Amino acid sequence: MTQPAVRLDRVTKRFAGHTAVNNLSMEVPAGGIFGLLGPNGAGKSTSIRMIMDIIEPDEGKVVLFGEKGTGRDLSERVGYLPEERGLYKKMKVLDHLVFLAETKGIKRGDAKKRADAWLERLGIHDWAQKKVEDLSKGMQQKVQFAGALLHDPDLVILDEPFSGLDPVNSQVMKDVVIEIAKSGRTVLFSTHIMEQAERMCDRIVIIARGEKVVDGSVDQVKRDFGGSHVALGFTHDKEKAARVLNDRRLVGKVDDYGASADVEMATGANPEELLTMLVREGVGLKRFEVVEPSLQSIFIAKVGNAAVAPRNDSDMHNGASS
Amino acid sequence: MNKLFAVIRRELVERVRTKSFVISTMLVPVFMVIMTVAPALMMSGSNRSMRVAIVDGSEGGVGARIEQAMITQRLSDDDSTAMPRYVVTRVAATGRTEAVRDSLVKRTGLGKEGKAEGALDGVLVVNEDVLSNGQLEYLGSNVGSFEAMGRLEGTVRQVVTGARFETSGIDPSVVARAMSPVSVNATKVSDGKETGQSGGASFIIAYVMGFILYLGIIMYGQQTMTSVVEEKTSRIMEVLASSLTPFQMLLGKVLGVGMTGLLQMGIWGATVFLVTSQRERLASLVGVSADAIQQMPIPSMSPDLLVIFLVYFALGFLLYGALFAAIGSMCNTVQETQQYASAVMMLVIFGFFGVFAMINDPTGGIGVTMSFIPFFAPFVMPVRWSLAAVPPAELAMSIGLMIAAVLGITWIAGRIYRTGILMYGKKPTWAEVWRWVRVG
Repeated sequence: MTQPAVRLDRVTKRFAGHTAVNNLSMEVPAGGIFGLLGPNGAGKSTSIRMIMDIIEPDEGKVVLFGEKGTGRDLSERVGYLPEERGLYKKMKVLDHLVFLAETKGIKRGDAKKRADAWLERLGIHDWAQKKVEDLSKGMQQKVQFAGALLHDPDLVILDEPFSGLDPVNSQVMKDVVIEIAKSGRTVLFSTHIMEQAERMCDRIVIIARGEKVVDGSVDQVKRDFGGSHVALGFTHDKEKAARVLNDRRLVGKVDDYGASADVEMATGANPEELLTMLVREGVGLKRFEVVEPSLQSIFIAKVGNAAVAPRNDSDMHNGASS
Repeated sequence: MNKLFAVIRRELVERVRTKSFVISTMLVPVFMVIMTVAPALMMSGSNRSMRVAIVDGSEGGVGARIEQAMITQRLSDDDSTAMPRYVVTRVAATGRTEAVRDSLVKRTGLGKEGKAEGALDGVLVVNEDVLSNGQLEYLGSNVGSFEAMGRLEGTVRQVVTGARFETSGIDPSVVARAMSPVSVNATKVSDGKETGQSGGASFIIAYVMGFILYLGIIMYGQQTMTSVVEEKTSRIMEVLASSLTPFQMLLGKVLGVGMTGLLQMGIWGATVFLVTSQRERLASLVGVSADAIQQMPIPSMSPDLLVIFLVYFALGFLLYGALFAAIGSMCNTVQETQQYASAVMMLVIFGFFGVFAMINDPTGGIGVTMSFIPFFAPFVMPVRWSLAAVPPAELAMSIGLMIAAVLGITWIAGRIYRTGILMYGKKPTWAEVWRWVRVG
């Protein structure tokens, strides 16, 4: 029986005035991609920092790989990309990566080879001798990303890895993450972008206000949430659909996007009946599909907008949030 | 250990690569060469004979004897073939000294720019009652030169005193013997051995050392602090905190900056050594006589003093570096650090004042007490060592206390550091900082 990569056991962290993480237990199984989801200020970063042993929990404990020792003791097996990216601006890119690898206990010669390989792989090798400050934001992110992965960690923890990336770079990073998971290692990443989590993660935990709301594999979570959902795409006469969609016996909730809409059927209602009604009204349809609930809709249903705690920049790193 | 080494190396290498390091390291030696050569160049300017007219209103030949005493002097004391120091014209003016003086001043254009060749540098007026009131008058363009005036006054005093003895009926040969110069050559004794150092050289060394320690600790201490603040601002801190312990980060930072400081001082020290040992060659390069440059007193530092100096610089830097790093970790901007840093600066400045107390009275209570207090010892002890004999037991105790303080302060700074580096937002109060230390 393999030990989970990360186990939080009733972990609580309080900051002056409020509880950032409250009695949180979760297990990240070894291998695969694990999503830690939650609105801004839910306690994601605080949880991650406790896993990394950057801050200590007030109560409860964190176990990595089922072993004794904190995240820092085991840091040679853990790669970490913090939410707030930071690099030494005046250092040359290659030197910087070598230094980051050295702090993970890699020998200098080896570190240089690995850094070269990663720069090549991320397509920024031409910049190896440039100073970090001469790089664009996106390139700096790549350097930081490489820095977190250079030492081939068994567990990779990425705090909001895709924020601030353009679609091309986002794609590159996604491919790297998928590859790590394929090689049997573990990726834990936090995000508040549900589409991404839905497509990438094997398992998710949703937290809000420092407490766990949802826990399980993505499929399981969707099944448990239940209900039937229909995705609609309109071509013409959309306004004629209004009467049908307002029929409370048939439709529970509508998420209207203009040319399309997500419909949550009312309890016990049959999607086929909805189709019949729409066709009878003369609504032009290009799409009618019975779908699983999206993580987005589960998230909103479970967490609700009220859970989005106010967040101000000044205490971002007080750990006073997320 | 390897990680600590990586942090130190990064700090050292990145620092040495900066423009400011290269420039400041280069500029100081250049400055030093200039400081060695320039005074010699300036001194060589005074290496010509001074033209002096003696307006002699005296009776009994005092004016003539002054003239005699002046013309026998050479520009170099040990070289009888050197140029005469003075070219003297004596004008007999008994009873009309003022008139002669005024006409000489007017005629020769004394004090005017671009005066003609052979013009006077000064007029020395010897009045008839010089023996009784001991007053002479000198008018000249070079009265601001302490050296020239001192020499002239010495010569005149010697002659007048001699003449006074003779008028009182004392044998001139007895007078000559009585007037032969007396001087006290002070040599420092340390640990029962003569160091061969003159008192003046010890003083210069003590002063320079105190100053270097003071500047070094402030300069590199501030650099440590600024660099911690920069790491916070650039948010690299969190990446580091995930793989390094706060203690590794703190120690690596302090040692890295400290070693940069030692490297820079080493380069400077080597330059001083080269410049002093090669100063004759250097002088000939710029066309100054080696003789002139020899007049610059350059004290040498004995090896034991150098060791003491380095030991105390290292310990002092560790102590203050850790404090400055802790302050850096508490703040988000360099401006914010000033409030806390000023408290540390007070300690440094107080220690620096201790250097003066020590120079004034190397065996006095204040200096000796301060050489045991870890915050002041780095400044005071090397100075004390250079000025007076220090019993080995006292040295051992001072160093022992320093080491204990370094360990204690580093521990406290480490506690502050580990909470401080992840604190953004408002600056902490002293009470909060104390809580970080206690709870950590």
